[in-house]
Amino acid sequence: MNQVLVNALVSASGYLLVGVGFSLIYTSARFFHIAHGIVLTVGAYSTFALGVWAGLPLSVSIAGGILASTILGIGLEWSIYRPLQGRQASPATLLLASLGIYVALQALVSLIFGSGTQTFRPSEVPEGLLLVGSRLTVPQLAIIVVSPICCLSTWLFLQRAQIGKMIRAVANDHDLAEAYGFSRDRVIMVAFFFGSTLAGVAAILLAYDTDMTPMMGFRALLMGMIAVIIGGIGNIPGAALGAVLLGLAQHLSGWWISSKWQDAIAFLILILFLLLRPQGFLGGPLRRATV
Amino acid sequence: MEYILHILILAGIYTVLAVSLNLLAGHAGLLSIAHAAFYGLGAYTSALLAAYLGVPFLVGVLVGMAVAALVSFAISLPSLRLHDDYFVIATFGFQMILFSIFNNWIDLTRGPLGIPGIPQPMIFGWTIRSHVDFVVLAFIFATFAYIIMGRISSSPFGRILRAIREDEVFAQSLGKNTLWFKVTAFAVSAALAASAGSLYAHYITYIDPTSFTVMESILVISMVIIGGAGSRWGPLIGAVVLVTLPEALRFIGLPSSVAANLRQIIYGILLVVMMMVRPRGLVGKYGFGR
Repeated sequence: MNQVLVNALVSASGYLLVGVGFSLIYTSARFFHIAHGIVLTVGAYSTFALGVWAGLPLSVSIAGGILASTILGIGLEWSIYRPLQGRQASPATLLLASLGIYVALQALVSLIFGSGTQTFRPSEVPEGLLLVGSRLTVPQLAIIVVSPICCLSTWLFLQRAQIGKMIRAVANDHDLAEAYGFSRDRVIMVAFFFGSTLAGVAAILLAYDTDMTPMMGFRALLMGMIAVIIGGIGNIPGAALGAVLLGLAQHLSGWWISSKWQDAIAFLILILFLLLRPQGFLGGPLRRATV
Repeated sequence: MEYILHILILAGIYTVLAVSLNLLAGHAGLLSIAHAAFYGLGAYTSALLAAYLGVPFLVGVLVGMAVAALVSFAISLPSLRLHDDYFVIATFGFQMILFSIFNNWIDLTRGPLGIPGIPQPMIFGWTIRSHVDFVVLAFIFATFAYIIMGRISSSPFGRILRAIREDEVFAQSLGKNTLWFKVTAFAVSAALAASAGSLYAHYITYIDPTSFTVMESILVISMVIIGGAGSRWGPLIGAVVLVTLPEALRFIGLPSSVAANLRQIIYGILLVVMMMVRPRGLVGKYGFGR
């Protein structure tokens, strides 16, 4: 039982890290950036290319991987989303463009690296540590420690820093924020910068724990997205709560029924929340478009 | 020669899929990512009926369509309570749940092992064996889908769907029960997608869950949007372009694993370019959500 809880916590930390980056982008840019998933995958594979193919030290290749995610994220915003938003494209248009980017880049990753599993771990992970009566590997421990730290810093940044407050202002009412002279484009770019960097960090941690496939970002994104939607999108403490709930539901159901239904259960929870409480646990009321 | 016929058959199957999704995405403005799930429901229903119970092809097709229409209510009624991107995400969720059922309900679907030995169809004594026969059958299915869609889009029903797309509150103010119209459109679209699934299952004679993933849904959406959502010939053009373009690559001698990835790269890029340059598609009039 302890083991189930610990595993749930590991999953939850991973979901949280991906979800917070996604939600940061959603709150400022107001569309579902599905390509966030491929930003993550590219981070993991860049680390692999630098570390294994080019033979650079692990620390350098990790930094390179995170940097690759950041650059890809802001590059997409700059080259594709910003021109679309400049033309007042609807969220559906942006979502479709994002799906297109995702599909094309995932295929590109499979083309370059193959569709099988790759790893940048130097050797086999040693037998797990024994903690509160359950096994925990070093990568899992890293996820549990790093993810809350990253999310806490993001939260503090949004609450305290000038540009963080600007992100929240734009999220609340972007017309009013622009009237006060905040550039919406600049705020969105900052959100993409931090969101994509978080995806890069998540990529390294997840790949360190469970290796990488070209599909890794997709599942990570979906679970992160579900966690932030059930927690209340744009609300970081809510996202943490959502991630824990999702992790628990998946692992407890895996324990009681069978782990093969984990994904179906995650989506069932998502749909229940969308229907019964679309604003999530802690989110404010949802606003439909106003005329 | 066989190969060109194979491509024609695939183009026919995808035309049915794209035309049926066009009713939802193009006419009603509902961007559903669950289309591959209905395609799979049709394929699994008629494959199971034919392979295990020896049910005739046409009966299997009709049962598959009925099953997909019934399941569509379970999907559309909850999803339609949501709007815009939340609607898209809900259909996404249902797509993932149905895929999970195809993949994990081992007792029924044999999971990843798939269902082999689906017999070749026989219609009123005409056994469909050769590729030429299948081209004819695919052509009949696509024509059937086109006739139904033509009827719907020129009928009052189709006009109300377009009115809902343009301004739902206005359509309601005319006393139209817009939910009923959208749910019906969903069911018709699902049933037609299921017919494409049955055709696919009986043509390939083997199905497994990998043919009905969310990527397949995205492919069909791309066909509708690249061709032109809401237009009559857009889905046909989109389906033909996206089926033949990657095959052309295989023709110049690329190995099939490379060609499969290139196909995704091409349609992904096309989707992005279309959104940026021509959101209404090649021949469409309606720009998705402008």
